Amino acid sequence: MAIVGSRRPSPYGEAVAEQLAADLARAGVIVVSGLALGCDAAAHRGALVGGGVTIAVMGTGVDIVYPAAHFQLAEEILAAGGALVSQFADGTAPRRHNFPARNQTMAALSDAVVVVEAVQGSGALITAEAALDLHKEVMAVPGSIFSPLSVGTHALIRDGAGLVQNARDVLAALGVGREVLDDPLGAPSRLGFELPEGRDGMLVHLSDVLTVSAAELARKLHLPVAEVLGRLTSLELDGAVRRHGTGYVRALRRGKERA
Amino acid sequence: MLAAVDSCVLAGLEARRVEVQADSANGEAKFSLVGLAATSVKEARERVRSAIKNSGLDFPRRRLTVNLAPAEMRKEGSALDLAIAVAIALAEIGGRAPEHSAFLGELALDGAVRHVDGVLVAVRGLKKAGFRSVFVPATDASEAALVEGIEVIPCIHLAEVVAHVLGHTTIVPQPFTVATADSASDVLEHDLAEVHGQEEARRAIEVAAAGGHHILLSGPPGAGKTMLARCLPGILPPLEPGEAFEVAQLRSLLGDLVPGRPLDWTRPFRAPHHGVSMAGLIGGGSGFALPGEISRAHHGVLFLDELAEFQANALQALRQPLESGRVTITRSGGSVTYPARFTLVAATNPCPCGWSGDPVRACRCTPAVIDSYQRRLSGPLLDRIDLQVGVRRVPLAELASEPVGEASAAVRERVLAARARQLERQGCLNAQLKGSRLRHSAPLQPGSRRTLERWAEQKGLTARGFHRAWRVARTAADMEAEELIDDSHVFEALGYRLNDVAA
Repeated sequence: MAIVGSRRPSPYGEAVAEQLAADLARAGVIVVSGLALGCDAAAHRGALVGGGVTIAVMGTGVDIVYPAAHFQLAEEILAAGGALVSQFADGTAPRRHNFPARNQTMAALSDAVVVVEAVQGSGALITAEAALDLHKEVMAVPGSIFSPLSVGTHALIRDGAGLVQNARDVLAALGVGREVLDDPLGAPSRLGFELPEGRDGMLVHLSDVLTVSAAELARKLHLPVAEVLGRLTSLELDGAVRRHGTGYVRALRRGKERA
Repeated sequence: MLAAVDSCVLAGLEARRVEVQADSANGEAKFSLVGLAATSVKEARERVRSAIKNSGLDFPRRRLTVNLAPAEMRKEGSALDLAIAVAIALAEIGGRAPEHSAFLGELALDGAVRHVDGVLVAVRGLKKAGFRSVFVPATDASEAALVEGIEVIPCIHLAEVVAHVLGHTTIVPQPFTVATADSASDVLEHDLAEVHGQEEARRAIEVAAAGGHHILLSGPPGAGKTMLARCLPGILPPLEPGEAFEVAQLRSLLGDLVPGRPLDWTRPFRAPHHGVSMAGLIGGGSGFALPGEISRAHHGVLFLDELAEFQANALQALRQPLESGRVTITRSGGSVTYPARFTLVAATNPCPCGWSGDPVRACRCTPAVIDSYQRRLSGPLLDRIDLQVGVRRVPLAELASEPVGEASAAVRERVLAARARQLERQGCLNAQLKGSRLRHSAPLQPGSRRTLERWAEQKGLTARGFHRAWRVARTAADMEAEELIDDSHVFEALGYRLNDVAA
């Protein structure tokens, strides 16, 4: 099962990739991805969290980890019984034209491909296309219609790709037997954030995908910016919101769990 | 005959006394100048010879020796010209210089006394050394007159000076100038009223002004970072007399004082370009280092636009002055210390193209490029910046509308009140409060302390970061006239820590 997506996902996309991979790994699925930044790394990490086996299909020789920052991740993948595979000879440095070929290999190695987030023309869509050519199942995760990162996935869904809300959707598409489907895997609520009771109602004004700045929120709520900033920080400390660039988004899972 | 007069040379903000001895003796006509004089001082021989002749005085046609004592101290600059000329004239005529007086000034070939840099610093040093009167170039008399308790004699021409020394005529001394704040023009060049939106950054600028905190503004091009930075001086109080004097001394060293109006009450605002060298930023030069931009910004604002584009070594060198408010620079002549207590306002783009994190326009940088760009701002430097805020682009529709922001004058009122509270309580601004005094001067409610500790634990704050957040919380409380820091102040302070990445 390949999980692919943008190298620069929104916080939402990253969380989805990780959660989905973890749930699928728990169900015994081998997660295939490309060891790239963003969604790929989140998928590998999720699979490791779920105690599963994951395969990294590389666009370089297997002896070269690209990006270098993922060296430790590669080690962990191997330590957990996974594999680093490559169609390129040892010592092949990262080259732009090698990556589309790698994407096709990924599709070939998998029974299905889930695209988490993709802008138009992204590498993840190449993987999806290759999967279609090989008559494999292609599925996509929906997002906000305002997010450029979901344009590619929405196009896939419109063209007939399966819609993924949780791991169960994926397992069903893979034709896994009923007994697995009955397992309480990733009900939709687990992907979302449960609002803490009795909070100040600020969370409803925040999005999972698009960042909102303290100033915008203050204007909307007619509150002093210092107060809004303070309350957002308080929520951040509790793991309910996250800072992303210059704004805030709702955290999809509690901060402590992510670490 | 032998004559001796006093003068001084400068080593940073310190004046070192130089005794100029002139001896004319029988022998072949010759003029030698000894006493470790640098080239600029050796050239005085030619200037002084012409100046004396053109002043209608006799230049000794005998063997003339001028000694600059102490001989082991290196002397630079043209400020000794006047003293050398007076010593030679007295040696020829056979007069004595008045007791406890010193001479400063460069000579033109016609005998006119010209401006030299650092007169204010020299006069202050001479007064401390027990001198009672000082002869200075007339153009520099107004700055010299800022020093109380020493007679300042403005000199226009060498002939006049010699006549005064010999008692033939009298030059009227410049009266001591009492430092008073002028009713400075209250028209601000940049007013917060013109800033559209940006409530978060406005608030942060206000906090920075109230507590003397350093601030980093991060945002895309055209978001108004520069405009916000330029508004900061306008919400700060005018300089105190002591502060204005310190600023004037540094400007005097650099020859930057406005003639006739040596004291300036508006806070300095310095915005060096990012190409500035380390020497230009922190101070440098041969012999003794001259003050750099950080000292020019003393008691004012240092604005570094495009922080990530500055040379890495220049940014590293900022770390110590940011902490201590002074900088010590060692050059061949020795080491000097200059004050550099400024408020740093830094602005940066989040990535090389500038659009990372912008809700509308897509960023074209690869993650690796963004990472290396942000890594240029070293952790230790960011750790010393108390307030870090994101600035967003204001939608065009809003820019076209009338700004509704509060005017600088109103913000300044609050800033002044908050600063007064701090000075009364602890004698300094919160940003300058020592870590050891925080517990006493900035008591935290037990719950608030726990909040701060939880955050520090979660985000891996350094001890310094912890104390900095504490200080900002103290300022937030002062802005509300609260004696105790509560949770809301701590949370606000933590909200300004953009770069605390979650573990």
